Amino acid sequence: MSSSADTARAGPNAGQGFQNLIAPLVPVLQQLTRLVVLIFMVTTLLFFMLRLAGDPALVLAGNDATPEQLAAIRAQYGLDKPLIIQYLNYMGNLLQGDFGKSLASGEPAMEKVLTMLPATLLIASLAMAYSICVAVPLGAWLGFKPERADRRAVSGIIFVFQGVPGFVTALICIQIFAVNLRWLPSLGMEWGSIFEWAITENFVIPIPLPSKTWILPSVSLAWFLMPSLTRVVAANTAEAMREDYIRTARAGGAPSHVLLLRHALPNALLGAAALVGTQFAFLVGGAVITETIFSWPGIGWLLIESTLTLDFPVVQALAFCIAILVFLVNALTELSFQFLDPRLRTKG
Amino acid sequence: MSEVKVSKVAGLLGGSEGRTFSWDKVRQVANPEIIIAFTLFTILLVLAVFGQFLQTHDPMQGDLLKRFTPPGQEGYIFGSDHLGRDLWSRMVDGLQWSMACAMSANVLNLAIGSTLGLLAAEKPGMLRIVVNQLVYTLQAFPGLVILICVVVVVGQGFLTLVFTLGLLSWVVYMRVVYAEASSLFQREYVQAARLAGVSRWSIMFKHVLPGVRASLFVIFAFHFAGLLIAESALSFLGLGAPLGVPTWGNMLAESRQYMMRAPWMLLVPAGAIVAAVVTMNLVGDGIASLSRKTGRDIDA
Repeated sequence: MSSSADTARAGPNAGQGFQNLIAPLVPVLQQLTRLVVLIFMVTTLLFFMLRLAGDPALVLAGNDATPEQLAAIRAQYGLDKPLIIQYLNYMGNLLQGDFGKSLASGEPAMEKVLTMLPATLLIASLAMAYSICVAVPLGAWLGFKPERADRRAVSGIIFVFQGVPGFVTALICIQIFAVNLRWLPSLGMEWGSIFEWAITENFVIPIPLPSKTWILPSVSLAWFLMPSLTRVVAANTAEAMREDYIRTARAGGAPSHVLLLRHALPNALLGAAALVGTQFAFLVGGAVITETIFSWPGIGWLLIESTLTLDFPVVQALAFCIAILVFLVNALTELSFQFLDPRLRTKG
Repeated sequence: MSEVKVSKVAGLLGGSEGRTFSWDKVRQVANPEIIIAFTLFTILLVLAVFGQFLQTHDPMQGDLLKRFTPPGQEGYIFGSDHLGRDLWSRMVDGLQWSMACAMSANVLNLAIGSTLGLLAAEKPGMLRIVVNQLVYTLQAFPGLVILICVVVVVGQGFLTLVFTLGLLSWVVYMRVVYAEASSLFQREYVQAARLAGVSRWSIMFKHVLPGVRASLFVIFAFHFAGLLIAESALSFLGLGAPLGVPTWGNMLAESRQYMMRAPWMLLVPAGAIVAAVVTMNLVGDGIASLSRKTGRDIDA
């Protein structure tokens, strides 16, 4: 449907045609406003907090710097001006897309973040994929006949698994697979190769990895999501199986796999999709811990590293990226509702 | 109605306080899962309160001659660590630290979250918009990032941890109170109270908040588990408890260098975290099913 023709044909009701045109954009605009406010709040908060944390010049110059050296560094980075001027300068540069230079290495902060981003995206998307691949079939199996003894036993195990924090899983995985069995590498021993590959290939996600270093980090990260996702799919499937339309379909002679796959599961997946969206920020938080444990060169590792060294341009660029990332995943989840839920699709 | 519901839950939790408490009623509502949950919870509480009397060694004093003693040998129930300190006694100390930290932060969350939830639910306006944007920000942005910055600014310590966790993770309370209180504010009894000239704050806290209490109990338990995880994760990263304090996170961090020699140094604190978290999750499930059950009894 071409919207301009629509408006022209509307004639006297042109105002309404315009409204029709604008209507689907309103939620998008609302979301974008929220994102802008979010980024503004986070950037401002981080700017003042990191400046309160300490003098970046001291970190740059080291402990035995002379006062002259410190003054030179402050002048070089504009740290000698009043805080509010620094803030306005910073925000002005930000609006032009300039995040400043890393205090530690001197390279542009955003570039530094973007080179680290593929490694995180790799384990985060793998973790998401594992979680969905395990949680959907397992949850459907559990929710199909939740009262049976075998399902109850598995539910109990998953309940305990849910209580195991991701970083504890990571440590136990290292203990078993890296230390005791020596099957898999831990602690990012071969991370150098992945890292440089990402730089030279210019941000291409390094899928053909030269080593097995990615296995343990991604599995540990999946732990942050998998048990809760399974429980949600199971609970929703069980609830859907009790609905009247299932009873009708069963009375109509539909075989049980059709009942489950065609009628119950699509409804159960709606709730699961919502959970994936809301848990993504949590997953990023999990990535910080997982990457630190495995020395995985992603943005979580960079975040700890740069916060502890007061490298504030990098922290700001990271916060910006994370906010955009979380926003995109949430938007994609909302979009996926359109595909999963026919009721939303026909509404137009 | 909710008065009765809550007093039943409270009766099971605390004993004598509930007006309608009797063992017959307990037998009616309790199932094996609930009994297990509250038994484990009692053990946790006893360890947290009377832990000092159950420790077999001084948790800070090591015997270097007895380093890396495996569990169950030479009087070390859970073995000893790289400095010959008793892991059982250190685990009890860690439990006390974690419980105190999670409890204080949780109470702070409860206070902030339910107050903001009530204020936002009361009437539409600027306050609602601001609070909702704040919630959106805290939800969309990993709290860990802000937490790390705060720790870098203020330094490690019990109070830092309690206040950062307490001030940053109240979103779950706010959302639930907001959702449930919004409908309660529309009820006739609230309107009647308003007409009778009851003050705004009194309506909020005496008339609306009790209607949300059952849900708050459930969140309190689940959120407690979440805070236990957050606390130990931060300590593990070196951002929570100061170095040297025997907390589960610190014990895990110490164990990393001795994985080959003493795997029990990893397994003891890891097991403790899992046990505590699972217990609190069970308690949350138990309270949820209790309030559902009693609610159904009354409605029927």
